[in-house]
Amino acid sequence: MVSANFAEAARFADADFAEANFATADPAAAVPTRPEYLPSTVQGAVKILITGPFGVGKTTLVGSLSEIAPLRTEETMTAAGAGVDDLTGRPDKTTTTVALDFGRITLNPRLALYLFGTPGQQRFWPLWDDLSRGALGAIALVDARRIEESFDVLGRLEEQRIPFAIAVNSFPDSPSYPEEELRVALDLLPEVPILRCDARDRRAAYDLLIDFVSHLHSTSVLELPQ
Amino acid sequence: MSGPVRPYVITGGRSRPSRNVLALESLVSTAPAAGLGDLPDLDADGTGLNREHLRILELCGELLSVAEIAAYLSLPLGVVKVLIGDLWDLGAVHVRPPVQQAERLPSTLLEEVLLGLRQLR
Repeated sequence: MVSANFAEAARFADADFAEANFATADPAAAVPTRPEYLPSTVQGAVKILITGPFGVGKTTLVGSLSEIAPLRTEETMTAAGAGVDDLTGRPDKTTTTVALDFGRITLNPRLALYLFGTPGQQRFWPLWDDLSRGALGAIALVDARRIEESFDVLGRLEEQRIPFAIAVNSFPDSPSYPEEELRVALDLLPEVPILRCDARDRRAAYDLLIDFVSHLHSTSVLELPQ
Repeated sequence: MSGPVRPYVITGGRSRPSRNVLALESLVSTAPAAGLGDLPDLDADGTGLNREHLRILELCGELLSVAEIAAYLSLPLGVVKVLIGDLWDLGAVHVRPPVQQAERLPSTLLEEVLLGLRQLR
């Protein structure tokens, strides 16, 4: 079926990719009518990606950190043979729609930080070059109940050469593996930190982000030429 | 123009912006001097400004990122980048590019991010 308009494509995206604990919210809430502007003094922005498999809590984490209600936008992606949508009118090219939920933190009067929830499944990798360009780093959320779903995204992060950390999101029935066991299961290099968080809790989410940026900072200091 | 149209109709079939330097986190504001009367009208052949260009100019009275503009206007990011590129070429919007780590010592930028996060925690 060819979807005739963008709103319809967006509904597909909602159904397929909305995070479990965000899906109960009215999707319309992701497109508020009154814009929340940045202070005019802000000179530029940086970004951090929040990635991981479907339902791992990316949007929840973005929502706990963001000063604005998380926003949703869509990117169309050419995907040979995906058969989801055809915006080009060319039978040899099809496009599919990916939903990105994101939030914002104004760090100081000059600098803003954007947090982009980025789907980690292999079929979204064509988007990664654009999404990751210039990013400070990426936080890969892992659900300890189904760590195998994170293999795809960890492989991609390593290929992309983007600095990243693992954040194990707490769910009520999560097994609490010791760090070494997780490290082996995820086949992590020793320099990749394993952090823990409760994505629903603002304070825990901030602690996670602070730990992550501290890690990036210590790594960048090590890499400075002597 | 009313009702839904296919996204790349809005851009005249273009999927790439005239400048490839717009990032999701590039910040955009309408140029104060961009009186709408000075800008080209929508021509019959669709080469001038269309309704979506004007919506961007209206929305960006203050500062927003490319991603936020796409979200508020419910348009795909790729489409919004093309349209903002048009407006940038016309001088109708100001664009503040992302802060690059290379522009400062990476540790200095990360220290600024850390300080901000600790104060907001």
